Amino acid sequence: MSSTVVSSGNFWTTFFVNNRVVSGVIIIALYLAILSFFGYLIAPYIKKIYTGENTKLRKYTDPIIGTIEKLAGVDRNETYSFKGYFISLIIFNFVAGAVTFFFLIFQGYFFRAPGQSVMSPSLAFNTIVSFLTNTNLQHYSSPSVLTYVDLSIVIIGLMFISAGTGFAASMAFVRGIMNDDKKLGNFFHDFLVAIFDLILPLSLIATVLLIIVGVPDVTYSNIIIHPFFGRLTVNIPVGPVASLEGIKNIGTNGGGFYGANAGYPFENPNWISNLIEVVSFTIIPIGSIFALGQALNNRKFGMMIYGVIMALFVFSALMTFFGEIAGIPAMANLGFNYGGNFIGKETAIGISQSSIFASGATLTSTGAANSALIDYTPAGILGVLFPLLLNDPLGGVGTGVLNIFTYVIFTVFLISLMVGKLPEIMSLKVSSKEIKYSTYSLITHPLIIIIPLGVVVLLSPILMSSFINTKPDQITQLLYEFASAASNNGSEMGGFTTNSAFFNIMDGIIILLGRYPIIGFQLVIAQSFATKKPKVMYGRTFDIGSFWFGLMLFFTMILLGLLSFFPILAVGPLLAWGKSFSLLIGGGLL
Amino acid sequence: MNKYVEAIINALKEFDPRKLYRNPVMFITEIALLLSIYLLVFHSEYDLSLSGLYIPFYISVLVLLFLTIFFSTLAESLAEGKSRDITASLRKMKKETTGRLIVDKEEKIVDSSTLRKGMIVEVRKNEMVPTDGEIAEGSGYFNESSITGESKAVFKVTGDSVTGGTVFLDDSIKVRITANPGETFLDKMIEMVEGSVRKKTPNELALSVLLSGLTLIFIVVTSSILPLGSFMKFDVNLILLVVLLITLIPTTIGALLPALGIAAINKVSQFNVIAKSGRAVENAGDIDTIILDKTGTITMGERDASKLYPNKGVSDEVMASVAYQSSYMDETREGISLIKYVKNLFPDIEKYKIKDASFIPFSSETKFSGIAYDDHKIYKGSPHAIWDLMGEKDGFIDAVCAEISSRGGTAMVLVEDSHVIGAIEFNDIIKPWIGERIKTMKTMNIKTVMCTGDNELTAAYISREAGLDEFVANSKPQDKYLKVESEKNQQRMVAMVGDGTNDAPALALADVGLAMNSGTQAAKDAANMIDLDNDPTKLMDVIFLGKQILITRGSLTTFSIANDISKYFVIIPAIFYIFPALSFINILGFTDPLLAITSALIFNTIIIPLLIPMAIRGVRFKPSTVDQLLKRNIMVYGFGGVVLPFIAIGLIYHLLLGVGILW
Repeated sequence: MSSTVVSSGNFWTTFFVNNRVVSGVIIIALYLAILSFFGYLIAPYIKKIYTGENTKLRKYTDPIIGTIEKLAGVDRNETYSFKGYFISLIIFNFVAGAVTFFFLIFQGYFFRAPGQSVMSPSLAFNTIVSFLTNTNLQHYSSPSVLTYVDLSIVIIGLMFISAGTGFAASMAFVRGIMNDDKKLGNFFHDFLVAIFDLILPLSLIATVLLIIVGVPDVTYSNIIIHPFFGRLTVNIPVGPVASLEGIKNIGTNGGGFYGANAGYPFENPNWISNLIEVVSFTIIPIGSIFALGQALNNRKFGMMIYGVIMALFVFSALMTFFGEIAGIPAMANLGFNYGGNFIGKETAIGISQSSIFASGATLTSTGAANSALIDYTPAGILGVLFPLLLNDPLGGVGTGVLNIFTYVIFTVFLISLMVGKLPEIMSLKVSSKEIKYSTYSLITHPLIIIIPLGVVVLLSPILMSSFINTKPDQITQLLYEFASAASNNGSEMGGFTTNSAFFNIMDGIIILLGRYPIIGFQLVIAQSFATKKPKVMYGRTFDIGSFWFGLMLFFTMILLGLLSFFPILAVGPLLAWGKSFSLLIGGGLL
Repeated sequence: MNKYVEAIINALKEFDPRKLYRNPVMFITEIALLLSIYLLVFHSEYDLSLSGLYIPFYISVLVLLFLTIFFSTLAESLAEGKSRDITASLRKMKKETTGRLIVDKEEKIVDSSTLRKGMIVEVRKNEMVPTDGEIAEGSGYFNESSITGESKAVFKVTGDSVTGGTVFLDDSIKVRITANPGETFLDKMIEMVEGSVRKKTPNELALSVLLSGLTLIFIVVTSSILPLGSFMKFDVNLILLVVLLITLIPTTIGALLPALGIAAINKVSQFNVIAKSGRAVENAGDIDTIILDKTGTITMGERDASKLYPNKGVSDEVMASVAYQSSYMDETREGISLIKYVKNLFPDIEKYKIKDASFIPFSSETKFSGIAYDDHKIYKGSPHAIWDLMGEKDGFIDAVCAEISSRGGTAMVLVEDSHVIGAIEFNDIIKPWIGERIKTMKTMNIKTVMCTGDNELTAAYISREAGLDEFVANSKPQDKYLKVESEKNQQRMVAMVGDGTNDAPALALADVGLAMNSGTQAAKDAANMIDLDNDPTKLMDVIFLGKQILITRGSLTTFSIANDISKYFVIIPAIFYIFPALSFINILGFTDPLLAITSALIFNTIIIPLLIPMAIRGVRFKPSTVDQLLKRNIMVYGFGGVVLPFIAIGLIYHLLLGVGILW
């Protein structure tokens, strides 16, 4: 295909430079291997947090946690069942949200920097909800509206709170399965443990590493550049970028310092920082999956889930990569050396590393981006979009374990019946209650995407006036926006003015529905398991960690996603894809 | 023929929305049917094209929607018809008769319907027992063929329960009535068979929730096409959306689910087992531990003499002759079999018969029997009893006895006065086919436990021979309860068989308690299944059946959901056919969108009657390990469920095209 062949003395250099598909696939494989390795490395540590064993950090963090608990009047030995646990979680989140909401609205009047505008209440609502729920959908470019106090207190604060809340929920969930004392635990204690034992230390490490590779971390100031050509000066704000970057990725938050997120050189200067970021937003989700298997004394189960997730990861990353490297058929058809769709990508990072970043960011609930998704090809965007439609299979900090488990329960139900057993998981009977709540949790996700999408499309002339692309792309963008909100991902495709009262509030509601009811359903399941005693197994039984179970789980996930969204995908990305081929077949429109 | 007409009429009656709402999937289908009729009546308001090619399409959609519901209700009414046959045959057993009521020692002939609990009636030769009761006085043979179909007479003694409708064959007996009219065994059975049909089991409920959830998603997904269509500036024919909805919602499993539930109860009934609830049958499929009695279940329950072991210095003939003398007056099973055995060895053994000897019968206290003549005494009995009697042990014979025990036999020691003549081995024969069945249970990962009153050695031997996992030796009645309890404490599902009153607590505790019809009333009340044929091994059949029912349900659900993929790939390209760019998802290459949609709906409809026989009969399955079963069923119903509709819809499409239908 390529008309110019690069040659150098080294055979392999020549080979990799000239065979960019091969080298891209190898880079993706290396990324997957490295992030799996780090996930596996941290798993025993997360397992200890799940099971409440002593960790090396405990010595240092326990006094801090104890002091905070004493000040807040929390008795860690007082454990709660679902109701108490979930109410604590809701109240804590509500208070944090309310306080930061007013802070955001009123602080804007006092600490505003020159050139900054005040947030509208709807944008403030959207921002708070979005950061509170680990979504980090940003309907603004942060330096232009957020004061530095906002950024330090509200944004970074909520990033910790949302990650801590998610991880606490997963601690309660694992405890529900492991124990049979009818209790889920103490939310505040779990939350503090999640923050001090896991999230904070890892964020610090990530921050230090990012500083080393060149991400700025300073008190607030502006770099003013006077370009050689042109009369305008360029004013680049800098601040505690690396600090934010650390918790942004470790907490699977994804909201960046700059509007362009990790596509901006100050957030993600080179391939090493790119790798550090991908590893840091996958380390806790992948570690939690292995840790789940270890905590439940069923490593094989953990491996099976890891396998299924990896299959989805590979599928998503390769779909994106091949979509992008093939680029726009019309362009490729022109005959010159077309290296793939580089529009909207940082050339220093390239297609393969952009693809793995984008698919990793939607597979986890990070939603960070190092390239402009709006410029992706229809096939490429499908690869990034489909994990959102499956509600982020790898999930956020903690929530990944919860989400995958609802799919597992659904699959266990089908599989058990097929082998003539009543469903059971980890030697615990799965009763109709668990099936009911996992069904609720699984159908909530498509419903809160499709219904708003239908409403918006129905009222399209008014609401969709700001859309600029062609119609199939508009549908893709709308689907992407709502899917990202519903799965608490926060990845932005853009393509229209998101900062309008309607989208701010609509997204906010979808985000809330995608977060709290689903965590609620999942904790009800945990509570139900917490009242059950495990069966003493005799001989070999139906193996939940087997290949066949994994295969069925994989197809169940794909099937549920496909069945729920196929018509919308058809008139959105699939139609756009088809059209791009039609151009090719039609002999080229350009 | 009449039966089928009745089934069809009942199926049509089930269209009543008040009845149909219990089945959400079919209820939605009915609403879709009514909606389509409404849309067609007011077609001008909804921009439905009435051009020539659309008319036959609309008609076929209406007909197919109607048939979808009809096939579902037909499946249910066919299954119900079967269960009605069962209740009818139960009702036939219930005959109104008269009874001899005893009041103040006087006899009064009254109608059986006037008899109440606690009354005493007399039953004479060849009379029918008027209603359920227990024998208050006397004993004798009963013909229970009206209940069990078994014509062999059954011997019952005071305290045993008798069922109304059975015939007494001996002189006279007094029966205390234990059931008021309407509460008899048969009444309860009829009520159960009818009632269990109507109640959903927890697992069915869970499946209903899951199917309803999917249905809800599909309603929303289908509705979303409407705004998408107007956005993309093309008219969506509402009837097409109705068809899409009906093909997507899990109509296959939704249509067959009620029939599956009824078929479960029916299948159990065909085994002559009455299940008190659908839940009991479902539990049977999930049993982890099965507790079996030794006697009657694993062994024939009859001890036969199988070998003689003469003491040192005693010849075979002497041994045989003393054995003969000890037993020719003994009418117990052991005695008769011993006589038969020695006659086989020495045909002229009868010459040793002693005249004027008196018989010392066996009693449960002494545990020996024998004869006394002149001043000689011959005893045979359990080693323990004999050594106690003699005051000392014979070392050699005692060792022989221990060895017999270790082989699962029962040893008896024969003594004449103070000489120990030898030992006799009795064997309870293990049913020849039981090993096979135990192995089947094991492949299905079910733990088998045997309860026996035998000693440790015998129990160990039998359990090894039959391939059992565990045994409880020297078991007393409460041991069975304790075993059930300990298994339940390990959260395992337990099945057991029982017939005596002292089994009742264990039967009640077990997840599946199968009582013998010949058992006491208390046992039958406590159990959740009753076997009319009194065959304890049937427990294993019931477990097999329970599994089959679950597998059928699971496989059809998987199949039904997997079908959706191909239906999507047929209907979505057809609905969006105005976008040529989307033709790459039209993987079957259909050129006529309306015909393609019709073909998908035809497949969706006819798959239901095609699967009715499977739903009623159950999925065939070989007892194998769960892994093998899983592999097979995922391949057949999962991947088969994806591929089959593609082929079938393609065939239907080209068939219709071939006969010249072109819309």
